[in-house]
Order: sequence, then C-alpha cells, then structure tokens
Amino acid sequence: MASLLWFQGGACSGNTMSFLNAEEPSACDLVTDFGIDIAWHPSLGMEMGENAQRLFWSFARGERPLDIFVFEGTVIMGPNGSGRYDLFADRPMKDWVTDLANQAQIVVAIGDCACWGGIPATAPNPTDSVGLQYLKRNKGGFLGADWRSKAGLPVINIPGCPAHPDWVTQILVAVASGRTADIALDDLQRPQTFFKTFTQTGCTRVQYFEWKESTEEFGQGTRKGCLFYEMGCRGPLTHSPCNRILWNRQSSKTRAGMPCTGCTEPEFPFFDLAPGTVFKTQKVFGAIPKELPEGADHLTYTAHAAAARVAAPKWAREDMFVV
Amino acid sequence: MATDLHISPLGRVEGDLDVRVMVDDGVVTDAWTTAGMFRGFEMILKGKDPQAGLIVTPRICGICGGSHLTKTVYALDTAWRTEVPPNATLIRNIAQACETLQSIPRWFYALFAIDLTNKNYAKAKEYDEAVRRFAPFVGTGYEKGVTLSGKPVEIYAIFGGQWPHSSFMVPGGVMCGPTLSDVTRSIAILEYWKDEWLEKEWLGCSVDRWLENKTWDDVLAWVEENESHYNSDCGFFIRYAMETGLDKFGAGFGNYFATGTFWNPDEYTHPTIEGRNRALITRSGVYQDGQYYEFDQANVREDHTHSFYEGAGALHPFDGRTVPVDPAEGQKQGKYSWAKSPRYEIPGVGMKPLEAGPLARQVVAGKPDPLPWQDYDPLFHNAVTTIGPSVMVRVMARMHEAAKYYKLVRSWLDQVDLHEKFYVKPVEHEEGQGFGATEAARGALADWIKIKDGKIENYQVVTPTAWNIGPRDGNNVNGPMEQAFVGSPIADTTDPVELGHVARSFDSCLVCTVHVYDAKTRKEMSRFVVNGNC
Repeated sequence: MASLLWFQGGACSGNTMSFLNAEEPSACDLVTDFGIDIAWHPSLGMEMGENAQRLFWSFARGERPLDIFVFEGTVIMGPNGSGRYDLFADRPMKDWVTDLANQAQIVVAIGDCACWGGIPATAPNPTDSVGLQYLKRNKGGFLGADWRSKAGLPVINIPGCPAHPDWVTQILVAVASGRTADIALDDLQRPQTFFKTFTQTGCTRVQYFEWKESTEEFGQGTRKGCLFYEMGCRGPLTHSPCNRILWNRQSSKTRAGMPCTGCTEPEFPFFDLAPGTVFKTQKVFGAIPKELPEGADHLTYTAHAAAARVAAPKWAREDMFVV
Repeated sequence: MATDLHISPLGRVEGDLDVRVMVDDGVVTDAWTTAGMFRGFEMILKGKDPQAGLIVTPRICGICGGSHLTKTVYALDTAWRTEVPPNATLIRNIAQACETLQSIPRWFYALFAIDLTNKNYAKAKEYDEAVRRFAPFVGTGYEKGVTLSGKPVEIYAIFGGQWPHSSFMVPGGVMCGPTLSDVTRSIAILEYWKDEWLEKEWLGCSVDRWLENKTWDDVLAWVEENESHYNSDCGFFIRYAMETGLDKFGAGFGNYFATGTFWNPDEYTHPTIEGRNRALITRSGVYQDGQYYEFDQANVREDHTHSFYEGAGALHPFDGRTVPVDPAEGQKQGKYSWAKSPRYEIPGVGMKPLEAGPLARQVVAGKPDPLPWQDYDPLFHNAVTTIGPSVMVRVMARMHEAAKYYKLVRSWLDQVDLHEKFYVKPVEHEEGQGFGATEAARGALADWIKIKDGKIENYQVVTPTAWNIGPRDGNNVNGPMEQAFVGSPIADTTDPVELGHVARSFDSCLVCTVHVYDAKTRKEMSRFVVNGNC
C-alpha cells in the first residue's frame, strides 16, 4: 500500500473534478486495483475535525510514512508572507505544505496553480501566490529550486488548467508501483512521456496548418482551418498530449474549435489577459504571427508560409469537418 | 506586495469556511459562518480584456466552471448587444445542463452520502446497508455513481473540447461547428448514463414514472409501490433519511430565489437584461413568506456590514465596491467574514436573505402562470408547504433535477439544426454594461460587467455560495446557512455529523472548518472539517 495525502491550497478544485473523470484507471481503481491508500482528500476524505487533524499531524511529524503528497492549488503567501489568507486546520496552509512535503517520498504538483501559480498569480497576484517549485517560469517557488523529496526527486509537475485525469492517475500508479525511475522529467519537471509532444500533435486541424489556411470565424467557421493564425491558438507552442490522450475520452479544445490557451505552460494566462489578447493572434506587421511554432524563426517561417500558401491544394480551402 | 492583503471578496467561491455554532441542550441555537480563503479574481479582472472573464471565471470553481462560463458569456452578450443564433443557445443549454447532470451523482455519492455511513448512525436499522452502498471508493452505489458521473461531461467535451475549464462559449454563440456524429454520440452517451445510473441505480424506474410524482405523498407512495423503487438508491435514501431524522432539521428561512437558466432558442436571439425572464425555460423568481415575486437583477444588493470591507451597508453589484480592511481591524468592527452578504430587495417588503440552490429552483418551478416553453413543476412547492424544508428535502430537490434535465438535454440535442449557424460575429463595443446569470448545480450564479475604453472597468461575481453562506447583514439578520444550522440536533458533540449534513446539503463551495461551542461554558467542543466543493 502506498499512502497518499492530497491537499488543496489556492485552488478551484478543478483538478479534483478532472481526476474524478478518470477511467483508465479511475479514481476508485487507484484504491481497489492499485493499492493506493488515499489517506485523506479535501473532497473525498471521511475523517473530520480532531480525527482529521490527528491524521495530518501523524504524517507531518513522520509518525506515519507518507509515500505521495499531492498538492493542488497555489501556495498562498499573503498577506505579508504570513500565509493567513489560506488557513487550514488551524494553521496557514503553507506551513502544512512545508511539513508534509519534507516527509513525503514523492511530491506531485497537480495543475498550473500548484506547478507555477496559475491564474491566481496573474498580475497583480493579489494573494502573493506561488507554485511549489516555480513562480511562472522562474525556478524556486515555495520550496526552493534545490529542494528534493525524501526519494531525492524534485516536485513532479503535472500542469494544465486542469490537468488531464489520466496524466494524474497514470503518474500516481507509476509512483505507487515502483516505476518512478521510468518517469523522465523535462526542464520544467514535467513527465516527458506526456509533455514532450505539442498540443498540436494529433490535432485534426494540422493539415490546415500545413497549408497555412486559417479558420475565419468561430462556430460554423471552425468546419475548416487552423486556429493558430487568427484565433490565438497556442497549439504549436504548447507542450501537452491533449490531442493524443483525448479529454473526457471524446475530444480536445482545438478539435472542438477552441484555440489552445497554452495552459500547460508557466505563462498561462498569456499576456496577463491584456486588452486585445484574448482569442486573437498577436502579430507583427499586421500579418505574421508574433510568436511562431517552437524553434522557428521569422525569416524562414515567412518563406515557408508563402510557399505553402502557393502550393495549397484546393481542398485545403474548403470545409472538412462537415455535417 | 503589502497591498495584496487587500483582495477581492473571494470568500464566495471555493475556499475555506469557518462555522461557529452555539449548542444548548444538544440543539444549535445560533451560528456564524466565516469565509476564509481568497484568490482575488475580481481584482485580477480589472483592466483586462473584456473577454478575459471567459478564461478566468471558470477557474473560480472547477466544479461549476461551465456555469461560470455560461453567465459570463451572457454578461458579454448583453453588454455587446450581440445576436445569438438558436443553435448556439441550444448548445449552451446542453452544456450547462450536462455539467449539472454530472454534479448530481458526484455530489450525492462523493460529498454527501458518505456521511450516512458515519458511526453515529450505527444503531440505525439500515446502517449496514448504508455502508454497503455509500462507503467511499468501495460502496456499490459510490463506485458506480462517481465513475458514471463522468459521462454527462463527455457530452460537454464533444461540444466544448473538455470539461472542466473550457471557454468555448463566446459572445455571439459557441466556438464549435458540430457534426452529425457529434450529436449522435452525445445522444448515445446521454442515454447510456440515463439507463445505467439514473434509472437502474438511482430510481429503479423510468424517468417518466418518476416525473409523475407531483406531491410529497406521491413520492412516499412511489417508494412503497414496488421492490425496485424501494431498493433503489433513491428509495433507500428516502427511507434512511426518515429513519435518521434528516427530514427534521436544516430548514433555514424557507425563503428562496432563482435566477433561472436555459433559454428558449427563438426567444433570446438578441439577449438583453430586460428580455431575460421571458426567455427562460427554468424560471427565475423569488419566494418569500409563501408569496411568489418576479426576479429583477436591479433588486440584488451586496451588504458588507459584517464583511472585511470598508464601511457598511448594501450596494447593487454594478456599483459594487471592494475595499478590504485588515481582518484584525475588521473584527473590532464586528466583521467576521470575507464573504459579502447578498440580499434581495423585495419592493414593499424589504431586504431579504434568500436561499439559492436546487430546492430554490424547484420551489420557483411551482410559480403559477408559466409561458408555454417554461417549466412548471409543483412537487417541491408541495414538499415545503407540507413536510417543510429539511436536509432531506434539499437533497431530493437536487436529485429530482436529474430526471428533468435529462429530458431537456435530449430534446435540445434533437433540435440542433446542423446546417444553420452556431455563431454570429459580434461588434466588440468599447463601452457597455452587462448582466449574465445562470443556475449552477448549487444555485444562482451571476456576473455584472462594466466595460470602458475597451477593457474591464468593474467586474462583480455573485455566487450561490455567497448567497447561502454569507454572514449577517446590516440588520443583523442571519445568512441562509447560518439560519439552517439553528435547530439542528447534535447527538455527539465530538463528531457533529448533523452540521456536516446541513452544510453539505447546501453543497457550498468550500472546505468548511466548523467550530462547535457550548453555549453555557463557551468551551470549544470540537473542530472538524466539512468536506465540500463549490
């Protein structure tokens, strides 16, 4: 049995809700088939009051071994570094995080907030929120850049707003079943098996991207085209498996006509949601996307795009996702 | 950032709630609710892109994020004076309803029913059966209910890409252009969920048979009608609730309101604040002291006398001001919560605290004189006027909506015209003000937006949790949940599960820390966390 404790800081519970959508494996499977002992969870735990506090303290003091500490939500530092804007079980949540993270074999940050601060850390960051080991792209966060868990690992970041349930349950099963060594992390401490690919990998609109054909408007307009050129889609710039491991087993935002907002990257929400940036591609000279697919440069991109447009076959200008 | 002590009133959303109650001879005599965690969303929205709310407000609450999106888009539709084609309204209705259909079993099994296995009920005749059905992760009802609760939001994902946290509703319509396959798959998933959970597990009968129940006596007769009803999770819950007394406490004021939701696609092609009530399918309304009143957003107030904000009194959300004070200072002025106290000014009656939620919606559904497309349903008006409101009645109102919303979603899926528009590109006006509201699973949810110079000048979100858990107002009148605690029996003061039942029957959006005090000794008897979600 691997013991697991799940706490929420400055959270919306979206990752918990996402987690409960899991099927392969499901949240119940973790307990019944994979031997994970979910000792407590804010939405699912049985223990209340004194009993819950006794349980938390037994982990915090190391009297009971803690294999996996899952944290959802930001670590709230305000006001003035006191953490009093998020009191939990009679103390600032940040103090629980310190104690529990240091007792855990593995610490898993679930969702953008826990990874890098997410939406609550958007300017002006009213609560002084940080992620466990990052604030946006800056390493450090709450625990510090050099922090390591008892098993010698940094925080495993499973970002996304929310994280996909299968990313969560599959990593938890890997950790609980002794496959931690198989989890290679990228330079943002994300499991590469999920985050090496791009959101665009597997997107049904990728042929339109190839021939530089844009979606012109939402709704019926998304029957054709790529959302990157006008609608602000960040699919080619964002690392996630959203189009490999589908959402709710059915679809993805880009497949359904919604631009990727880049929610697995530390900068989400991009441009701090400044006027003119929501669902609109930022451009230079009024035509060329300001941010290009990762690794591309403006000169070769522009030449490539011009050639692609000239070479585009007729069908690439037509609706493909028809009734 | 010292100024970050001054944050928006996000106690109304997902966060921590402290509840203090006075107990006298085993009965709660008074209660105080204190919202305790803040994330500053309204503050983050100021000065941002007018559409920023489409991305930000769903993240206020991961449980009802789709509802946040729904009311945010209508606030923008009314502010920008858009055209919304009928198909877009249908898809929005479907998505909003599917989020609630997801929430019904998930909330019941994962959040509410596990308390029915509390050892305080070990003496109940059916205790072992309650444990068999409702024990966390392994209960027969729990495992099936929680796992199948993911099905309705698969439909959300077909149209919106994912659930939770899509932003696929935009001013002028929706982002998707569905295909025949999308609609067919959605119908198949909906029917699967209806067959496998709603009818097989929960009801033990057809949806149509359940909906024949028009009075509480009908419901009681239904339970006894056959073994299938009697042994369904619904039949069992009603019997167990009555055995353990959940029909005897948690009443609250008995006054309700709903902003309503779901729009007749042909009646709301040009959304306006004034035209909203008429276009609704699930109606808005106010129920106070047995009288029905029309709902008008102009009569909503937020009182902050006992909230950690400067000054006292009540303002309309368009003029909402949020100037926080240090809680240490605020406490000296008698303030005790970060939540404001939403109230409703009934013309000629006064400013009233009103309960929001499924029971409120279903009482409002009994309001006379519906328009032809509007829901009329007398069952819960009958229940509150015969057996009276309680924890049990609040739970049953919520579960009742599963059957009703299933039928609505099915009819909307059948109405989608794949060859027509799903979006009409709007003019993005530099100035405007808008109001959008819907019914999240747990009650009325609304946004007020002011746009100036192409950016957000003011943004106010009033959540059902604020309506229900807000503190006393300027007249020292309790908030609805505070009032609902009053009269609760406490069998075991070291484990006051009854308070958990009351709090969870509201499905407040909070992880509540409840402090129990003895009215005589003022000694804190126990302290526990009420697990909760939005």
